[in-house]
Amino acid sequence: MSTFGTTRHHSPAVQNYSNRDRVTNYHTALFRRLTWDGTVPLEIRVDPKELPANSERGLECYYIQAPRVSYLPLLMPEIRRFFNELVFDETAAMELKDDEWWFETAEGTLLKWHWPIGLIYDNHSISLSTKPSSSRSSSKPASLRLTLHLASPPNDKLLLAPTPEACKIAFMGQLKEADFIRWGNTKRITGLKQQEQDGLWEGIKEHNFDDYWRVASKVTPTTGSHRAQSPGPPPSSASMHTRPPSADPAGPSERDGAYNVRSVPVRLYLSDGPVMQDLVPPLLEDGTPHTLRHYLTSHLPLLFPPQPPAPPPSRSNPHPRPPPVQDLAYPLIQGIPAPLESEMAWLGACLAGADGWVNICVGLRT
Amino acid sequence: MALTNHHDGPDRSLPTWVTQDTSETAEEALKALQTYKKKDGEKVIVRFKAVGNAPIMKQNFFKITSSNRFQAVIQFLRKELGYKGNEPLHTYINLAFSPAPDDTVANLFKSFQTDNHLIVNYSTTAAWG
Repeated sequence: MSTFGTTRHHSPAVQNYSNRDRVTNYHTALFRRLTWDGTVPLEIRVDPKELPANSERGLECYYIQAPRVSYLPLLMPEIRRFFNELVFDETAAMELKDDEWWFETAEGTLLKWHWPIGLIYDNHSISLSTKPSSSRSSSKPASLRLTLHLASPPNDKLLLAPTPEACKIAFMGQLKEADFIRWGNTKRITGLKQQEQDGLWEGIKEHNFDDYWRVASKVTPTTGSHRAQSPGPPPSSASMHTRPPSADPAGPSERDGAYNVRSVPVRLYLSDGPVMQDLVPPLLEDGTPHTLRHYLTSHLPLLFPPQPPAPPPSRSNPHPRPPPVQDLAYPLIQGIPAPLESEMAWLGACLAGADGWVNICVGLRT
Repeated sequence: MALTNHHDGPDRSLPTWVTQDTSETAEEALKALQTYKKKDGEKVIVRFKAVGNAPIMKQNFFKITSSNRFQAVIQFLRKELGYKGNEPLHTYINLAFSPAPDDTVANLFKSFQTDNHLIVNYSTTAAWG
């Protein structure tokens, strides 16, 4: 980038600005990389009642560490190979139709084909948080236990065909919806060449960060604006690492900035319950960044009570603090209990899934 | 950095503010959750607009209960048009994108309404898919 090696012509002010931008870009790339590299452990067991005759019973469980940004239909070839080679006998393997396979959690929740795997996992975590702790401690394995059914899929509830093609169409739909939320149109996505659009999906399929972000950086907001970012480690840590060159935003411009979108694509998931979606402006009316706390307090005030104002200052207490309020819940984003000071715009640029959406799963502090 | 363990399982140690527990808090939290799970019977206006060669509807405004999923809107539209399950019908919001079938009408309305209508375009061929 031109900010390197051309300092001779720069005024000190400009140089400071680009240093700060560089740190910001570094953090953006880092969090995008962490989000991309996040994986979850799955334990997949064929429903014992459906195991075909002559199956190898001792092996009917398959373990996989699956990328959060991936989808169940993309894991199917690997899962099928395992069961066909090691569990089912040849005749059974020939007769089984994998377009009739479908998944449930061990608790009996149907898994949708078009939900990112990380969302399925987090949604399950928050569902456990509402169960009495006695049952939770016994069902507290790190892996998400799934039951694989081999026949009679409840298609009316699964909604989509279990194919990678159907999943890709749903993914592109989500990407466009996110684009529309951000900018009021889908020009950024529709402006991509067909090859680039396919490249996004290929990047997910192959779990290739560089392939995905080569295209995604053209449609995802940048964080290179002058505003403070959250959360930010001290700048000195930036020099200790080299950032992946492929993740460099192509010159952050104010127009594409995370704080200039109309709204941030956010969905709020409650345990076993409704999914809420609304317009989430990056800044509040007073111009301050819209924080996760503000968002949660305005949507779920019973779980995240508003903070009362601080009492008036007195001589004995010149800097009074507001009385503490206890939140009854916590937000999980990409598996992280997210700090409530996080800014929604920053979350949209750095912790969104590959489909452009920030999924916030709300767990109960029971 | 504390955030690097984001791929761990649910048994990772959460910050203390997450795990502090009292049974009273738990009860209150569960009660709050139930409040948010209640569906209200609110209805919103959905306006269907044909695209391309798709048949035009005489009556194209409908009041639809907003807790319905978009899938229900698609099924309703198919019924109105007399379309069978295997005939292709593509649906879009604001001539721009196809929503997820499990998203609710309420959510789509809140995010994409135009003059108090949710505009659903339908087409027999893929248009903005």
